[in-house]
Amino acid sequence: MKKSILLIVLLFTVLISAQTKYQTGMQKAFDLWEQGNMTEASQLFERISKAEPTKWMPSYYVATIETITSFGLKDETVLKSKLTKAQEFLDVAKINSENNPEILVAQAFLNLAYIAFDGQKYGMTLSGQNNQLYAKALQIEPESPRVILAQAEWNIGASKFFGKSTAPYCSEIERAIELSKKEKIEIEFYPKFMLKRAEAVLKQCKE
Amino acid sequence: MKQLLYLLCIISQFSLIAQNTISGKVTDTKNNPILGANVYLDGTYDGTSTNEKGEFSFTTSEKGTQTLVISFVSFETFIKTANVISLKNLKIKLRDDVNSLDAVVINAGTFEAGEKAKVTVLKPLDIVTTASALGDVMGALQTLPGTSTVDEDGRLFVRGGEAEETQIFIDGIRVFTPYTPSSNNIPSRGRFSPFLFKGIAFSTGGYSAEYGQALSSLLQLNTIDEPVEEKTDLSFMTLGLGVGNTQIWDNNSFSINTSYINLAPYQEAFPDRNTYKKPVQSLNGEMVFRHKFKNQSLLKMYGAFSYTDFDVIQDDINYEDGFRFGLKNRNLYFNTSYKNKFGNNWRLETGFSFTNDHSNIKIIEDVVTDNENSMHFKVKLKKSFSNQFKISFGSEYFLTDFDEDYTTDTNQQYTYGFNNNIFASFVETDIFFSKNLAVKIGIRAENSELLNEFTLSPRTSIAYKVNKNAQFSLAYGQFYQNPKNEYLKFNHNFKAENTSHLIANYQHTKQGQIFRIEAYFKDYKNLVKYNDNYAVYTSNFNNNGEGYAKGFDVFWRQNGKIKNTDYWVSYSYLDAEREYKNYPTTATPNFASKHNLSVVAKHWVENWKSQIGFSYNFASGRTYTNPNEIGFLNNKTKNYKSLSLNWAYLIDQQKILYFSASNVLGTQNVFGYNYKNTAESNGNFNRQAIIPSADRFFFVGFFWTISDNKKTNQLDNL
Repeated sequence: MKKSILLIVLLFTVLISAQTKYQTGMQKAFDLWEQGNMTEASQLFERISKAEPTKWMPSYYVATIETITSFGLKDETVLKSKLTKAQEFLDVAKINSENNPEILVAQAFLNLAYIAFDGQKYGMTLSGQNNQLYAKALQIEPESPRVILAQAEWNIGASKFFGKSTAPYCSEIERAIELSKKEKIEIEFYPKFMLKRAEAVLKQCKE
Repeated sequence: MKQLLYLLCIISQFSLIAQNTISGKVTDTKNNPILGANVYLDGTYDGTSTNEKGEFSFTTSEKGTQTLVISFVSFETFIKTANVISLKNLKIKLRDDVNSLDAVVINAGTFEAGEKAKVTVLKPLDIVTTASALGDVMGALQTLPGTSTVDEDGRLFVRGGEAEETQIFIDGIRVFTPYTPSSNNIPSRGRFSPFLFKGIAFSTGGYSAEYGQALSSLLQLNTIDEPVEEKTDLSFMTLGLGVGNTQIWDNNSFSINTSYINLAPYQEAFPDRNTYKKPVQSLNGEMVFRHKFKNQSLLKMYGAFSYTDFDVIQDDINYEDGFRFGLKNRNLYFNTSYKNKFGNNWRLETGFSFTNDHSNIKIIEDVVTDNENSMHFKVKLKKSFSNQFKISFGSEYFLTDFDEDYTTDTNQQYTYGFNNNIFASFVETDIFFSKNLAVKIGIRAENSELLNEFTLSPRTSIAYKVNKNAQFSLAYGQFYQNPKNEYLKFNHNFKAENTSHLIANYQHTKQGQIFRIEAYFKDYKNLVKYNDNYAVYTSNFNNNGEGYAKGFDVFWRQNGKIKNTDYWVSYSYLDAEREYKNYPTTATPNFASKHNLSVVAKHWVENWKSQIGFSYNFASGRTYTNPNEIGFLNNKTKNYKSLSLNWAYLIDQQKILYFSASNVLGTQNVFGYNYKNTAESNGNFNRQAIIPSADRFFFVGFFWTISDNKKTNQLDNL
């Protein structure tokens, strides 16, 4: 009896430590991110992704951070090397989780970083690809508030360019906000809906 | 027992705390500390980033042999496997990653267009939005330095070379008949629609040993690997109609483009100087099928069919009723290529192309039938031993079977032709000594069955990066090409024509701007000579011709410095002389003008949803022979000038209206003079100016894209 208790205790310790290692690692990376230590956050996600080669989220977050931090860069060399790195990690995420709408949206976001940098050079090929990515993500998960928001933002950008009404997309954002309130995310560290951003975009849209 | 359990827990906790510290300092090869490098034990969570001094320190509970990884953008990743205890106070120097974007590029002689290129001089969109290009790839390339304006021909004349000296490849596989046929003084166009291609590399000399049978220049076109969406394109133009469609399923995709062109309505509205018995009409179709295999290897099959016919009478001083030229041409081209990566950094590229070109030509009362079947097989292997050292090698086989039937007005018939088969092998190595210094050395061997000749062409180039923005390159190479079909059909007793290229290049790039200057010297040997007015069946041929071309090219492009404006300027200086064909002496050939200048600008007008552009081309006078004076090619025409405008209006996301006009100022350009064969009674030869068939050309098109998401348009097709 005593031996079995001992065994259980030991086993439990091992199990907990195995689980918490991932959890504490991820949590620490998110903390770093929140504090604005983007490089360190990205590097920690990178280490986790190398240590957990079958999980998609660590590499997904590496790609996301590299993409976010590439907006506003002026030097094409730096931009390209950051986005090439982001693409490598996104490709790993794709292998670990096929047809994942979150990853499809992240890919569209990465493409957007290129388009925002030089629309003439990249817009022609990548904007078609983005339309396709959003359509595919929506097909897989028609009620995903993140996909709906991302697509609406993309469409608003295009409509503004052509001087068209952005009104049809405002209601999409409202719908995304509604859906996000109903959505229950059960997977830990799953990408979250950015309510503040949605509200800001909605406000802009209505102006 | 409880105590024992407690103790055990403590020990197990303790064992977790019993950690090793890993520490060290990371610098580059010049001992500058690297900030923010990612340092970690592979497969663990343990790691950190380096600080301002390049130092790092972290603890780990891992034991025994572990792998330490240090990675940082634009440096090669450092890997060290050792016992964790020994990983202390390390001094690590990261090596520059020679594959990174800021590394030196071997680029003497080459212009690249496309997203993948490290330095882009032309963007894919430029081909279709350059005013003077009229949607033709060749037209857009003629705004780059190194090309000569030969407006009545339309083909690429590079650095004092004839048009045949430029070879064109699609996905690494040769295109044997790249231009649409046309009559005298009417420019021919490339057969290929620009929007099936994602990248273009245009080399004006010094190219890799992988390519042969081109004395002057090389144009590589790469088709799109994966189209992004299904769509249908419709075009309504003043010249005809076009339909395109793309389908995507599983790992396959299929694109088709067809067009029908008929110049009858246009010529009715804007008659030109020729009398058409049958206006130009052409039917073109192209399709691409692509399949991506599970292992990421890629198979592409490209097929093109075109049919052209016309019958025209052109004014000619030597023919009272004009010079009649009629043509029916059909051309079939098929190209398949396969790419695969395998084993330890090996890469395989292989492909095959087949061309059938059939023409019925009527010249005054004579009838000529040409039939050409050509094939090209190629296999190339590339092995990357390290980032610093790569080798590629391969073999290829070209087959050309050309037959001509000539029936004179008196019904005499002549039949002749040739089989021009060439086997070639090449090997080439790329060595990066550092991020700033790279060398490419290669050699190519060719064996021509027809000429029974074996040639060896060494090629080499070197590039050195002086600083972040500037680099120098040098290239040298020997190039061989069999004489052109025009001669081979009459005579087989030839040697291959030969040139050597020596090129020096300086390039300075900054965000949104590029400046390059390139000087070159080309030495021509073994050029074909013959003794008649034209090369004919009975001519005497030899290989004793020679010549040279030297000069320099300047290119400047700037984007965005002036708001919403993109412009480039190309200037070429060319000094070329030859003694070949039936030249009695050394002279500058008619196609080689000394100065060529192109200015292209595009401006986006936000409020009008329009892109407005112009291109201006200037070429100094071209030589011609005036028989009323002593000498050969003894006179020069006046300078060539042309200003073209274009305007693209985006009606909405899927509809575009496009307008372009060439030579809006109506400059009366003269390409040369045609003298009467016999002198007048006063001993003077009368002449006729060779001029374009129309001074101006207008184009109006409406382009409509139908796709599910209603967001794409054909701006990229224009």
